Amino acid sequence: MKFTIIAETNGDILHPTTYQLIGSLSSIGAESTVICPNGKGSLEASKIKGVEKIISVKGDCFDLFDGSAWASAINPFCEGTILISASPNGREIGSIIAAKRNIPIVQDIIEISKGIVVTRPIYSGKATETLEINGESVITLRPNAFESAEVGSEAPISIVDQTSDLRLSIIEAINKASERLDVTEADIIISGGRGMGSIDNFSHLELIADSVGAAVGASRAVVDEWGMPHRMQVGQTGKTVSPSLYIAVGISGAIQHLAGMRSSKYIVAINKDPDAPIFTIADYGIVATWEEALPILQSELMKL
Amino acid sequence: MNIAVLLKQVPDTTAKITVSDGKVDVEKVSKWSMSPYDEYALESGLQMKEATGGIVVAIACGPDRNKKMLTDSAAVGADTLIHIPLDGISDSVQIQNILAAVIKMNDIEVVLCGKQSADTNSGSTGPGIAEILNAACVTMVSEVSFVENKFISVRPSIAGSEKVSTNGISVFTFDKGISELRRPNVRGIMMAKKKVIETIKLEDLGIVESDSGRIILHSQNPPTEKEPGQIFEGVSEIPTIIAKLRNEANVI
Amino acid sequence: MMSLIFIIKIVPFSRIIIFVLYLHGVLRNMNYDALDFYEVDSLLSDEERMVRDMVRDWVDKEVIPNIENACREGVFPDEWRVALGEMGVLGAPLKGYGCPGLSYTAYGVICRELERGDSGLRSFASVQGSLAMYPIWDFGSEEQKNHYLPKMASGEWVGCFGLTEPDYGSNPGDMITKAEEDGDHYVLNGAKMWITNGTIADLAVVWAKLNGVIRGFIVERNDPGFSAPEMKGKHSLKASVTSELVFQDCKIPKNRLLPGVKGLRGPFSCLNNARFGISWGAVGAAQACFSSAKDYAMSRIQFDHPIASYQLVQNKLSWMLREITKAQLLAYHLGQKKDIGDWIPEHISLAKMNNVDIALEIARVARDIHGANGILDEYPVMRHMANLESVKTYEGTHDIHNLILGRHITGIQAFTREI
Repeated sequence: MKFTIIAETNGDILHPTTYQLIGSLSSIGAESTVICPNGKGSLEASKIKGVEKIISVKGDCFDLFDGSAWASAINPFCEGTILISASPNGREIGSIIAAKRNIPIVQDIIEISKGIVVTRPIYSGKATETLEINGESVITLRPNAFESAEVGSEAPISIVDQTSDLRLSIIEAINKASERLDVTEADIIISGGRGMGSIDNFSHLELIADSVGAAVGASRAVVDEWGMPHRMQVGQTGKTVSPSLYIAVGISGAIQHLAGMRSSKYIVAINKDPDAPIFTIADYGIVATWEEALPILQSELMKL
Repeated sequence: MNIAVLLKQVPDTTAKITVSDGKVDVEKVSKWSMSPYDEYALESGLQMKEATGGIVVAIACGPDRNKKMLTDSAAVGADTLIHIPLDGISDSVQIQNILAAVIKMNDIEVVLCGKQSADTNSGSTGPGIAEILNAACVTMVSEVSFVENKFISVRPSIAGSEKVSTNGISVFTFDKGISELRRPNVRGIMMAKKKVIETIKLEDLGIVESDSGRIILHSQNPPTEKEPGQIFEGVSEIPTIIAKLRNEANVI
Repeated sequence: MMSLIFIIKIVPFSRIIIFVLYLHGVLRNMNYDALDFYEVDSLLSDEERMVRDMVRDWVDKEVIPNIENACREGVFPDEWRVALGEMGVLGAPLKGYGCPGLSYTAYGVICRELERGDSGLRSFASVQGSLAMYPIWDFGSEEQKNHYLPKMASGEWVGCFGLTEPDYGSNPGDMITKAEEDGDHYVLNGAKMWITNGTIADLAVVWAKLNGVIRGFIVERNDPGFSAPEMKGKHSLKASVTSELVFQDCKIPKNRLLPGVKGLRGPFSCLNNARFGISWGAVGAAQACFSSAKDYAMSRIQFDHPIASYQLVQNKLSWMLREITKAQLLAYHLGQKKDIGDWIPEHISLAKMNNVDIALEIARVARDIHGANGILDEYPVMRHMANLESVKTYEGTHDIHNLILGRHITGIQAFTREI
């Protein structure tokens, strides 16, 4: 079975997911052809181990994102099993290529093995399913679920001209007002409690929040006592949230606060008191002051 | 203008999902609801109908319990309700072909659906149908309007968001929309009760339900158990924790 | 170099139980889970189910986040009046004249879902629909029905019901509010008390004696000699407007008389309808208290275990489940009887009395389960408890309904000293 990978870039450099797509095939012992839309990242990709060849598809249609046009331009060069990142664009391109080729598409996989057998979450992560795919298919891979391939190789690059008619046009760019996310919208929340010491220290939480696109929350105590806006309050009489990750800093974990966030998928607690109740529901508890912990947390997150 | 809204009924997002003998207990699901992103598609369709004077055609394929969901969509204003009975689990290709065939039968100018359903979380249906219909496709939109013979939609971009224009038959898949979802009212409920749901069988579409055998389900399982909570003295383990959250838990 | 020593604390057993439960999703969703142990709601018609979902969703989104604040400030938010009108649930079982025309069971469901939010909210709807719209619908002239009902159904005009007086509560028959003929007007003198919606009402259906016979009169907000001061200082139904109605030579045109009824049958017909709704409403309040108590008991840890693991707490929760289930069945069956017209007022007395009584007890026990936390408005239980004190007294006190049943059983009235 041949494998084709459609690369994704961040500007002109390859997105880490492209390394993960290539790396995912190492468990099957397979190599892949990597297609680089508009040639972006082709030189970088040619150096990744596990790549047999690079096809650099150049065309005007790649100037803006039109899933149909991109799929039409890329499709002629696809063969066998087609892998693409389960990013929004990847899912769209993948679905269209699958429909064009009348082959099935399996989205958001987290494991792959010979067969081809794949595993993916379903019901918003409440269960998983393992499927066997016979014949050609399109498979999209969840970002950060697979090991990245290493560099240290050299694959030939062939450049082809292929464009397709655009079916859409961009008529206006709307820059996002730099408003921080509301706690009810964010997938990651970092909240502060009395342990933060003063309202000014929340700036440290804001810095971290901005680096990962998180929202900043607060316990009832600091909303009542330090006058933080009520919309930031997480808890029984505030907002009930269920983000993928909730980081509680200097929050003791009174039952009213827990009621507001205990259904978070993952909970990290930072508190200098080892007996704080928040540790009973934390997946990862760090007994330390926020002054010690936050700088390290921040630098680790920046590295990602 | 005929506006198609594709609706999927899924286990309610608050419903418990249990697994036994390697399969999800679909029979034990306590509550079924319209997939959340589809609700935004429906709201947008209703607004477009009010702005352009068209009709909203709500289409659902699946078991008979889907009829309740179609009636609920009528309670907020859907005009035509179409149900395609389907009991087995079909693959994405089949579903797309079925829906595209029904869309073609109804002189549709725009197709709205959620960006992904809450059960499969895939998002293949919208773009796949666009391909079959040779329609323009814009995914992850937060709003769509019809202005001077063009569809104007708003989707995310690197800098924030962008307005996109398409001509001709177009498919839009919805992320969380900007509008509040409208409530039904008693009048709507009582009119919806009387609305007839059109049933289109697969035979009417010339489609035979079959398992192509290309995808074989091995098993369905509960999610991997989380490790029990761990508490660490001091900050030395923070890098490990971040790495686990990123690579194992996939939450960063 | 940072210290390489770390300690992994193995969490105590009880917390692992919590974790296991958590992993299995029991605590995952603190969304409202209305107790329905015998699945009585599966008997609802499609229409009744859709109405239930519509009101429940609205209460979730608009009432629950705002009720504690409304209670603290002692106001009935005007947005709720507007929303109830838009949803079309006011005057639920009345047919024609722009009214919803739903079944009585649907009306009961609406009351239940509103009262799960707050009894004061449900009181607004009960008064508007059963006590103000209903008498006009049943006893009014065609002109009166066409004039008042559509705007009351839409919530544009708010109504109230003036029967109770400062000195005449359980004994309305001896009321002293009087109406006297004066040319082509009536002149009203007297006062009514404990009137829900009074201060915000556009019209009041007032029961007064005309030549010694109780008749119904429609008094409008701006009629001369009419005022409706608000009664302040309540510890109960704080998110509801309670008023006095004061008539000092209040002059109203003769066409405001309700022609279709004389005597206590008028107000009692209205009360029967309201009491029916209340028998369902009480179930909603009880369900809300049960839900909060159960969630709290599962989360609260003392002596290393959730308090839900202790026998005395389980006893309380089990008792609540039994009483709620019985109350649900009573209410549902009563709704069925009302819908086919096969009922007597005593049927309603039974349901109102029983369901409100157990709801109040459930609220008290729920507060007890919440411990000290139960006295804060972080949790709804004490608000429901305080509200239900009023609900137990109004619309016929608990004791009066008891005697109504006693009279039905024995044929002998035991309300008064004279037999």
